[in-house]
Amino acid sequence: MGLTLLRNELNTYDKQKNELIGKSKGKFVLIKDNQIIDVFETKNDAIRQGYERLGNVPFLVKQILEVETPQNFTSNLLG
Amino acid sequence: MPSFTTQVPNLQQTGPIVEIKVAVGSIIEEVLQKDNKDIPTPVNAVALIDTGATGTVIQENIAKSLNLNPVGVALINTPSSTNVQCYEYLVRLLFPNNVIVETVAITASLQEQHIQCLIGRDVLCHGVFIYTGYINTFTLSF
Repeated sequence: MGLTLLRNELNTYDKQKNELIGKSKGKFVLIKDNQIIDVFETKNDAIRQGYERLGNVPFLVKQILEVETPQNFTSNLLG
Repeated sequence: MPSFTTQVPNLQQTGPIVEIKVAVGSIIEEVLQKDNKDIPTPVNAVALIDTGATGTVIQENIAKSLNLNPVGVALINTPSSTNVQCYEYLVRLLFPNNVIVETVAITASLQEQHIQCLIGRDVLCHGVFIYTGYINTFTLSF
């Protein structure tokens, strides 16, 4: 999957990652296009604020971590 | 404590499956109402309660039917692939007995057509899941 809907936001996160880790490691950043909107304590808060400030559009909420841990799925329903 | 109990004819064969509806998250509903836009009708889905899943999964076409926009990206490992990126969506899961759970689900194309949703440990972490194999029932409470 190309993840084209959030490509700009992912690029923005990658560019700002080191700075974000220095300031807000473990928190949740809200990004739209090339702009960091804000940083939040919880994922729910970041998503809620994303909808309230931006409306029903794609945006990126991402936990600020040095290394991301994948979610695991043991079921072969996922292929 | 909100809960439901489901009996499945052959629980061992089919697994703990339940008919649910998937709806947009409550904040999405609020935003759509404020903008005088239509709220998508919740989508019927057969869900498998999957203790082997870190998170909840919905079939891709459910996200399309609900006009959902992604709110994040998750990295996942499956039996056949590692570090696959998937979109995340805010949804509400409407179980029997008016049991409602809001969560962030990933989308994927599930291999078997009769199951459109996996209920993962992101949901189970809020409740009690009781699997009573000898009478083919299971209960989920929150």
